[in-house]
Amino acid sequence: MKISVKLIATYRELLPEGTQGNKIEIDVPEGTKVSDIMAQFDVPQDDSSVIVVNGLTVTLSTILVEGDEVSAFSAIAGG
Amino acid sequence: MNGWHGKILRVDLTNQKTSVEDIDPKIARDYLGGRGWAIHYLYNEVDPMVEPLDPENKLIFATGPLTATSAPTGNRYMVVTKSPLTGALAHSNSGGDFPTWMKRTGFDLFIFEGKAEKPVYLWVNEDEVEIRSAEHLWGKDVPDTTDTLLAATNPKAKVACIGPAGENLALMAAIMNDKDRAAARSGVGAVMGSKNLKGVVAYGRKNPVFAEEKKMRELSIKIAKEVGADMLAGSSLREYGTAYVPQVTNTLGILPTRNWQTGVFEGVDTIDGPTLTEKYLIKPKPCYRCPIACGRLTEVPDGPYAGKGEGPEYETISAFGSGCGVDNLAAVTKANYWCNELGLDTISAGMTIAAAMEMYEKGIIPEEDIGQPLRFGDADAMIEMVQKIAYREGFGDALAEGSYRLADKYGHPEIAVTTRKQEFPGYDPRGSQGMGLLYATSNKGASHMEGDVAYEEVFGVPIKEDPLSTDGKAELVARFQNAFTLIDASGLCVFLAVRYVFSADRMIWPVRLSQLMEYTTGLTYTPKEVLDAADRVYTLERLFLLKAGSTEDTLPPRMLNEPLPEGPAKGHVNRLDDMLPEFYKERGWDENGWPTEEKLAALGITK
Ligand code: SF4
Repeated sequence: MKISVKLIATYRELLPEGTQGNKIEIDVPEGTKVSDIMAQFDVPQDDSSVIVVNGLTVTLSTILVEGDEVSAFSAIAGG
Repeated sequence: MNGWHGKILRVDLTNQKTSVEDIDPKIARDYLGGRGWAIHYLYNEVDPMVEPLDPENKLIFATGPLTATSAPTGNRYMVVTKSPLTGALAHSNSGGDFPTWMKRTGFDLFIFEGKAEKPVYLWVNEDEVEIRSAEHLWGKDVPDTTDTLLAATNPKAKVACIGPAGENLALMAAIMNDKDRAAARSGVGAVMGSKNLKGVVAYGRKNPVFAEEKKMRELSIKIAKEVGADMLAGSSLREYGTAYVPQVTNTLGILPTRNWQTGVFEGVDTIDGPTLTEKYLIKPKPCYRCPIACGRLTEVPDGPYAGKGEGPEYETISAFGSGCGVDNLAAVTKANYWCNELGLDTISAGMTIAAAMEMYEKGIIPEEDIGQPLRFGDADAMIEMVQKIAYREGFGDALAEGSYRLADKYGHPEIAVTTRKQEFPGYDPRGSQGMGLLYATSNKGASHMEGDVAYEEVFGVPIKEDPLSTDGKAELVARFQNAFTLIDASGLCVFLAVRYVFSADRMIWPVRLSQLMEYTTGLTYTPKEVLDAADRVYTLERLFLLKAGSTEDTLPPRMLNEPLPEGPAKGHVNRLDDMLPEFYKERGWDENGWPTEEKLAALGITK
């Protein structure tokens, strides 16, 4: 199934070289969890990251479905 | 005194006289400094029902005990007064260099009273204090005023001043310092303008004395090293400034778009941090002694929006960019430059124009009133309106009153997205419930700077909270309000303070901040004591607000009744009623939001 991965601000660097913008579409097997994707892209899976699926708060063990968008950014204050 | 100087400079503009007073040591300790000392004086000396632009209102510049110390980001001051925009309290924060220089004059606070007959500026060269004519400066913009004042005094001094917007009493006029830093919100620049006070120039070498110099230095270095290591490891704040935030809020569906009609902006990629860094960034610009350097020195090299200056930050992008439906970062940046030069708050200016755009498109404001079309996405019209606001020229006169008065004038107050008539900052409270409670109850009207629970709801600092849930938000908002009050009173910048001087697990326990306060002042301050003092400050501010007649803690109808139409927060409104009663209890206020007698007694406040 296809999902997309959006890595924001400094996490953009974790996307494969040559990626346009901050988002990439990838194929993953059914049953893939949020944590699998984060591991694949070397995103730290602790309090130093904010990870959401389709903009919503999730746990790392959430199982993804076709068309999901997983986004992550480093937890730092701003605004 | 250590840490503080304990000295107040009083400037009677009506009689062109200045005087110096000592602060009572008990008040000094109990109200911390900065925002805390300022509300003590405002509350005791100004009738809360005063007309904000009347000479009877007072304008207070306040530094904190950590301003001009070795503590990283100890570079802030607060401007406190009664706001002409909200009719409630104004307390606007700014960094840069000026606050440090102000403190080095040997005074902690400047209190401006009355009104000068003709335009003047204040020159504080340590003990030599002069009120001088500024008639030749009236009408000049901020950079020109700043340069002229430095040439006339001491090139090594620092300047805070108003631009044409403040002179013309635009209700969203800012007080600018070091040209590009702003005590922006609530129309503090209009109060300065109403007093015919064009600028303040500060120079001095009276560094505050620390009670425990060595301990202070050690802890400061430790904090600076921690921040430095994080910056080296790669920090979004350093690399992109706060301009990285549109991507974050857009992802959560809470990026204000076209006057809050939605929370998702299709043009977000063209107005965000990486675009700014790649196209226009010259270099990051820190405030004095800041290891983070979130400020942006930028240049738009060519084209219709060419210019050079500072910004934009997130709030400016969400107001002039997505808020006005403008996906052109050069245009947003140019609007920012104009605001800085003319002395305007970018949030209120941008969001007021956004509200006007919606009313124009809906046929509520006729084109002949504006003198031209004013559609969402029209960057040129937007920039023209910024200039018109500052001079109250043509339709700018109506815009200069802010979005609430504008929408009300045309019979549609529901289009204004404000609380206490102040425009919202860039987090849609339908998709960040705690932010809604914060805006509704904030002492200065809608503001993120008064207890920014977006730290948890949006940014995951120190922990991530679900923004769509109302659970625990009453406690969260109360806790953050006190924490931010404490930071503002101390003189530190919130960006650094929340992460590095509160303990990392829960920000409720300001261990390092209380240590910094102890080392500086030599007084005993436990973490609980500094938080209690912050509570005291916040509560006294609340009393001022209530006595000013600003008693309604609510949100505009769009936030309560119109669900977000798309994105992650689709279908949500803000559920303020679920949070407010619990919040009042949390704060020790009665069901109408008044601090109870027991609460006041516990804090040692006499009504
Ligand atoms: S973090 Fe940014 S706003 Fe705060 S002191 Fe540093 S440069 Fe200034």
